[in-house]
Amino acid sequence: MSAETKPQLELRQVTKRFGGVAAVDGVTFEVAKGDIVGIIGPNGAGKTTLLNCISGLYRLDGGDIRWDGASISGMAPHRVARLGIGRTFQIVRPFGSMTVRENAAIGALFGSAEARRKPKEAFEIADEVLELVGLAAKAGHPVSTLTIPDRKRLEVARAVATKPHLLLLDEVMAGLNNVEIDQALDMIRKVHATGVTVLLIEHVMRVIIGVCRRAIVLDFGQVLAEGEPDVVLRDERVIQAYLGERYAKRLKS
Amino acid sequence: MIVRGDSDRRWRRIFLILGIVVAAYALLAPLTSLDAAQSAGVPLLADRLWFRIATFIAMFVVMATAWNIIGGITGYAAFGNVAFFGIGAYTTGMLIAKARWPFLVALPVAPIIATAFATLIGLPLLRLRGHYFAVASLGVGVAVGELVQNVEYHGQPIFGGASGLFLPIYSIDNRGLFFFYLMVLAAGISIAVTWWVLRSRFGYGLIAIRENEEAAAVLGVNTTAYKVAAFALAAALTGMAGGIFSQWNVFINQDNAFPIEYNVQMILMALLGGTGTVFGPAAGAVLLQLLIQFLGGSLPISADIPFVSDAARPIVAQVILGVLLVVVVIFVPRGVIDFFGGRTRLSLAYLRRSLRETSL
Repeated sequence: MSAETKPQLELRQVTKRFGGVAAVDGVTFEVAKGDIVGIIGPNGAGKTTLLNCISGLYRLDGGDIRWDGASISGMAPHRVARLGIGRTFQIVRPFGSMTVRENAAIGALFGSAEARRKPKEAFEIADEVLELVGLAAKAGHPVSTLTIPDRKRLEVARAVATKPHLLLLDEVMAGLNNVEIDQALDMIRKVHATGVTVLLIEHVMRVIIGVCRRAIVLDFGQVLAEGEPDVVLRDERVIQAYLGERYAKRLKS
Repeated sequence: MIVRGDSDRRWRRIFLILGIVVAAYALLAPLTSLDAAQSAGVPLLADRLWFRIATFIAMFVVMATAWNIIGGITGYAAFGNVAFFGIGAYTTGMLIAKARWPFLVALPVAPIIATAFATLIGLPLLRLRGHYFAVASLGVGVAVGELVQNVEYHGQPIFGGASGLFLPIYSIDNRGLFFFYLMVLAAGISIAVTWWVLRSRFGYGLIAIRENEEAAAVLGVNTTAYKVAAFALAAALTGMAGGIFSQWNVFINQDNAFPIEYNVQMILMALLGGTGTVFGPAAGAVLLQLLIQFLGGSLPISADIPFVSDAARPIVAQVILGVLLVVVVIFVPRGVIDFFGGRTRLSLAYLRRSLRETSL
């Protein structure tokens, strides 16, 4: 489906090694503007490493990452962020001494390349974003009082406050119950509706099928399968990677 | 809570008024030593000894407040800031003693050189985190002092060597008063700079780095530039204090321009008062410097420490400071400034909570 449009994000043979282990090994895929793409894969498949490569926290050992046609490999994280690539962390990393509103304002203060915003403007943007993710009522609270689902929202709010063109979400649903997952899904749809491309890592299959138009399966750092979520999830190799060979056979029979 | 709110506000106001009265007395009392005031029959409220101590206190207000910018706001525990003090002192000292520059022209060069040095060493040093940065910065602090004392050119020490550097005495009426007010001005500048930093985009970036550096980076904070800028700003203020010190003291050498114990003292002051706040480090500096002078026996109000001879006092003072550091870090981690905001009160429950929070 992204064949006609020019890709916004392109990964070509992206490789990242830790010692002798290739955590990400020759990964190639594209993300079109406005798409929602899910990355799934068993633990240790290299999903988070891949996000760290895209957001500039890791230096690539091979391959190239291109944004709007230009290479961003080796670019410092803050410059990647200012290009319009926002991200969240799987294990939330709030700024503990700040209020919820201040946390979101940091994204608005620093995330944009075009405008050097003053604190006052940044706080206005923070308020809008907190409204969007459903944290407006807790804007003045210190982060330490937030529940886990709210911390996950705050993580998203901060990234959205940078006004990204592409949002990388690292397991925002992990540890949430069913009701909270529905709320978070709703939040992702809302953010996507504002015109943001979304690339998300997720273990909860319901999420992948619920929002993603395309899914990429990683296993041992390589792309195992790619396509429409329900097709990919029925792929025998994918079931094997997740559940082991025995279960794959049993499911088949 | 609502009932307590009123009384807290009242306490806060009382502390504020008390603070203003004490500060006003400290600033104005030295004026009574002027000849004009004496001949007009104004009672002498502060003599030379007092405002020599007061100048020292103001000097430590500058150093603790400056340390707070890199150590408290940015969260990088710099243990070698005395290097900037010494560099400032020797910059101004050399320009006055060797190049015969006037003091007020030589003084602004001190923060410039200190800033340049901090930028140069900050770029590699601030890549280190936690203990590694603390130890590396301590190393730099010691090394600079040794270098300044030992660098020679054609067998002649460049910076005065072990015998130190003598400056011509600055000819101005009421010299002691002049340096007191100059150091107070430097302290005021340091506090104003901190106040500005904490309200600016820059300051929000620094706090974000302290709280989580990677999260700050992916939100667009140029962490390297910000850390180096914070380090350089701290160096500029510390260097300024050093520059004033050199002309005030007239004589500088490795011992008084690069005292290793200043490193610990300025950190302890910031911790005692409250790191990351505008006035905390200044409050800590006043309290701790008074304590240091008292323990050292140089305050006019003095008391014998039982079982301690006069010769042993400085050593005992160090021991007491060490114990104080431990107690403060464990029991008052947010500093004494925490009690003046009207939110918390010193109580057994507070100490118990702090102990729980700070112990692993």
